Amino acid sequence: MGMIKDIVEGGWSLIAGMWVTIRRIYRPVVTVQYPRKYLDMSPAYRGHIEFEQFPETGSHNCVACGTCMRFCPSNVIKVQGEKTHTHSEKRASLYFIDFSHCSLCGLCVANCPTQTLKFSGEYELAHYSRWDGVIDLIQRLEESA
Amino acid sequence: MANEFLEPITEQTFYLNMGPQHPSTHGVLRLFLKLDGEYIVEADPVIGYGHRGHEKMAESHLYEQFLPNTSRMDYLAGLIFNHGYVAAVEKMAGIEVPPRAEYIRVICAELNRISSHLLWFGTYVMDLGGFTPFLYSFDDRENILDILDRVSGSRLTYSYCRFGGVSRDVDDEFITATHQFVERLRSRWDDYHNLVTKNVIFIHRAKDVGVINRELALRFGCTGPILRAAGVPYDVRKAEPYSVYSELDFEIPTGTKGDALDRYLVRLQEMEQSLHIIEQALERLPDGAIKAAVPNKVRPPRGDYYFAVESARGAVGFYIVSDGTSYPYRLKARVPSYGNLQVLTEVLPGTLVADTISILGSIDIVVPEVDR
Repeated sequence: MGMIKDIVEGGWSLIAGMWVTIRRIYRPVVTVQYPRKYLDMSPAYRGHIEFEQFPETGSHNCVACGTCMRFCPSNVIKVQGEKTHTHSEKRASLYFIDFSHCSLCGLCVANCPTQTLKFSGEYELAHYSRWDGVIDLIQRLEESA
Repeated sequence: MANEFLEPITEQTFYLNMGPQHPSTHGVLRLFLKLDGEYIVEADPVIGYGHRGHEKMAESHLYEQFLPNTSRMDYLAGLIFNHGYVAAVEKMAGIEVPPRAEYIRVICAELNRISSHLLWFGTYVMDLGGFTPFLYSFDDRENILDILDRVSGSRLTYSYCRFGGVSRDVDDEFITATHQFVERLRSRWDDYHNLVTKNVIFIHRAKDVGVINRELALRFGCTGPILRAAGVPYDVRKAEPYSVYSELDFEIPTGTKGDALDRYLVRLQEMEQSLHIIEQALERLPDGAIKAAVPNKVRPPRGDYYFAVESARGAVGFYIVSDGTSYPYRLKARVPSYGNLQVLTEVLPGTLVADTISILGSIDIVVPEVDR
């Protein structure tokens, strides 16, 4: 008797499980066919960093203080600045990041004294060579402007 | 161990390497098994393939710079590791965290715990041969990742907790999305139980398999669901309440026998308790600042400190020695999976090879966390 009870109960548990799957067939599809369709990225999404463009100056506000460079755990950032006139502030003339080493922790953005760094929404970042991961932020800003 | 290979074979046993590349070890773990037919005589987990030297790396990094490393130890519960490390440094430096930040941390940590358990649920059942529940649990987990992506900007390695608070405030959309998720997951329990918990094949694969009793779990320093499944109601959130857990009402689910089925049931009940915690925390979420004023470089006073939190797999502790500079003198992470993994040496002998998959899966290890 015990064996028959086991068989009936076990068989019923399999049917109950199958019923969950069968009901699921008639529910809407949850996946998106990615290369043909895109999802909206969240506003907080952390892509690699880029310069914020300020409307007052129409440019970035980087004074090449090097705080981001010193805080970066992976030495991703290289920044150099120069003074164009004797009394003017220093401005970044060179700003490179090596994205292949970046862990997107956001310490550079959090510690930037002029708030000129922000995260971009870039997520298609696979590339063929290591050099493709090196991004010139000043050039990127000029191209987007 | 190397000598054992060189000895002449006089007995009827043989050695089998399970891993380092094996789909059911979920990472680079090698189980060195001595077999007698299909029965295991000896088992030795060989670890260290994924060693990255996180603890040593801390000594050459600022306290802030070590933050991204913490979520890369246990990538399935990264936010809880963030929380543990950040809370340890806050304790060292005496930083007061605003209440809103503490509540946000608790909500996000509990969401992260559920996502970790859901992933475990899917992969464990997949190891046992059921592919469908894996897809269902990943569908639910995707909701959590979307919610956490909205606040932290990342899906897996969050670096969300910062010294003195969190990096980004939550908005109304986060709160409604979290409420919706809580309802959604509650409505899914029936499906999960019908698909897996009541399934006769699953019960046969999990019941009375890999019994880790109370004495064994305590001897090996197991924590988390393994210890609770053995009947010990130990949870850091209750035993040494940190953050705002002392204000929240929740229970610690425990098992009786400590077999794989008990561990499975304890984790499912824990997810329900986490939902309960999230609901309470959302209700009480106060207004105010999300970050205290903290200097750019934290310089904790000289001394040694320890702080533990409860991750999805057990107690995570950070032991940090400070020499008064902005670099840690020494950092030691006490991770739960390490102790939980070592118990295999006692549990596996005498079991079948096929049960190894079930036992290893039910322990729920994350190998990068063991190797660090």
